[in-house]
Amino acid sequence: MAKNLSGDLSVASANRLTDGVVVFLDDSGEWTARLDRAAVARDKRSAEILLERAKTEAFSVVDPFLVAVAEDGDGAIEPISLREKIRAAGLTFDAIAADAVRYA
Amino acid sequence: MPDTHFYRYDDYDRTLVAERVEQFRDQVRRRLAGELTEEQFKPLRLTNGLYLQLHAYMLRIAIPYGTLSSRQLRKLADIARKYDRGYGHFTTRQNLQLNWIKLEDAPDALAALAEVDMHAMQTSGNVIRNVTADHFAGAAIDEIEDPRIWCEIVRQWSTLHPEFSFLPRKFKIAVTGSPNDRAAVRVHDIGLRLWRNAEGEVGFEVIVGGGLGRTPMIGKTLREFLPKDELLAYLEATLRIYNRYGRRDNLYKARIKILVHEIGAEKMREEVEAEYAEMKDGALKLPAETIEAIARQFAPPALPHRPAVVGAVEALKLEDRDFALWLKSNVSPHRMAGYRIVTASLKPAGAPPGDASSVQMEGVADIADAYSQGEIRVSHEQNLVFPHVAVEDLPVVWLALGRLGFAEANVGKITDIIACPGLDYCALANARSIPVAQSISNHFASLARQHDIGDLKIKISGCINACGHHHVGHIGILGVDKNGVELYQISLGGDVDFGKTALGTILGPAVAADKVVEAVDALVSTYLEARGEGERFVDTYRRIGAQPFKDRVYAAV
Repeated sequence: MAKNLSGDLSVASANRLTDGVVVFLDDSGEWTARLDRAAVARDKRSAEILLERAKTEAFSVVDPFLVAVAEDGDGAIEPISLREKIRAAGLTFDAIAADAVRYA
Repeated sequence: MPDTHFYRYDDYDRTLVAERVEQFRDQVRRRLAGELTEEQFKPLRLTNGLYLQLHAYMLRIAIPYGTLSSRQLRKLADIARKYDRGYGHFTTRQNLQLNWIKLEDAPDALAALAEVDMHAMQTSGNVIRNVTADHFAGAAIDEIEDPRIWCEIVRQWSTLHPEFSFLPRKFKIAVTGSPNDRAAVRVHDIGLRLWRNAEGEVGFEVIVGGGLGRTPMIGKTLREFLPKDELLAYLEATLRIYNRYGRRDNLYKARIKILVHEIGAEKMREEVEAEYAEMKDGALKLPAETIEAIARQFAPPALPHRPAVVGAVEALKLEDRDFALWLKSNVSPHRMAGYRIVTASLKPAGAPPGDASSVQMEGVADIADAYSQGEIRVSHEQNLVFPHVAVEDLPVVWLALGRLGFAEANVGKITDIIACPGLDYCALANARSIPVAQSISNHFASLARQHDIGDLKIKISGCINACGHHHVGHIGILGVDKNGVELYQISLGGDVDFGKTALGTILGPAVAADKVVEAVDALVSTYLEARGEGERFVDTYRRIGAQPFKDRVYAAV
């Protein structure tokens, strides 16, 4: 059960420069592909600080920005918008495999 | 098999492309070293076809006028395997998109493309984009002249054209050489239609200001008949007027269609003709030998005589219903007796439209070598085409395509859906397209049912930019985001057939994602109950209007 759907919670995200992979800024200022390790800002001021920090750590990423997230009762976070859900989780269908010769 | 029947790079082309690859290699190196900011680098990567999408970089590779040799297709398969995830997406502009390219690999991918006379230049940015053409060019029974000769001339003129490197917006040109328009020329910035006048001369109808996107427009004819050797001068005059007067203050009003709409076709014609009068006998008037030299490269292959009627084919048609249906929907007449044009459907039931794995691309290349003179075409409807298949070889081609999963007998049918990549890949999208296409495809998977329904074009876009051409679908589906929820707006009656080109009309309120299939089913049921003799879906819609469809859909969803 999400306990915060107001958009007050946010994480900093970007695409990794070398390969475009979606990454999130963690508490130690490193970029990680794991959303569950992202640093979470819990109010507007913290979000501003998080974004500033992301921009100063942007050497290896492209265009950091804030993503609104919700947190469930176990502390797991998930982006609120579908776009960001897809960015975080990947394609919503099975892409064709490289060696595919026939669809199942 | 050598690339024999279409344009091969000369030294000038090869040098230009090789230099661009090395320039880009250095630009990537400097970006990775931190010597270039993203702001500085972005226009450089875009002009080489490298986008940054939701999850990764995407490389959009130009396939000039949708024509590929088997050698080129094998190279695309190899690049997809080596530098991507082993598959690619054929687009509505006859290009190929690789969705998972690494920045550091992009220069090597471009170098590999250059080995087979290909590149990704001008697949992005406010420039003249890859010129598209009828995918049956050079083989169609109704063709007056091969449009690819003119596409190639336009390609050479427009590549890195210094005056047109910073247009107000992107610029798309399509050319058809047949009265049956398979290139959608009336919905391009410039559409060119070759036709023969009463004097027996072949020239161009020049259609300007068409386009889809946020403000869909059907192009206006600026010139009924333009002598062929004056094409480049007329195009240059048109682009010059657009470059001068096109709006640069508003991204959404910057396409030439808005200029034509705002000043009117008459005024646009006056301006273009005045500019053209100044230059028509100048350097851009094409010498006959130049045209002939390029035309020679597109000389039709010397197809050996093959029987027009083959007993084994007729027998298999009677024995195997799937083969009979495939002949009906995926095989088209060829200009030469004993041959046919075969369309390989990249829309197997439930598959992402237009996607092909490296193995499938290689399989298609093998079939082309064995049975179609080594030639393949990419259609703007996201299928692949074998332009020269002997009637006698149809059964073996059908079987070979079946092994690749590309023998679905659905070309032109309800599951031959055009769909953009949508929100699963695209940074601009508001809603998903591919899963919607998959749901419809699965629901209508029965070939017997599809053939009973008949010709019906569904086109799906994940945003208003309309890469999925939804405005001209018999059924158009546009994904929109309403307060974070995907909804789908349905329009009816769009068409790109020549003389019938029309933009669809929105049916009513958008429907939820999980109701799209029910809505389409309701539309189809309405049609089936109301259709007259020989009527396609769109014909019935034109006759009875939207209301019966609307009543049924909104009762169902």
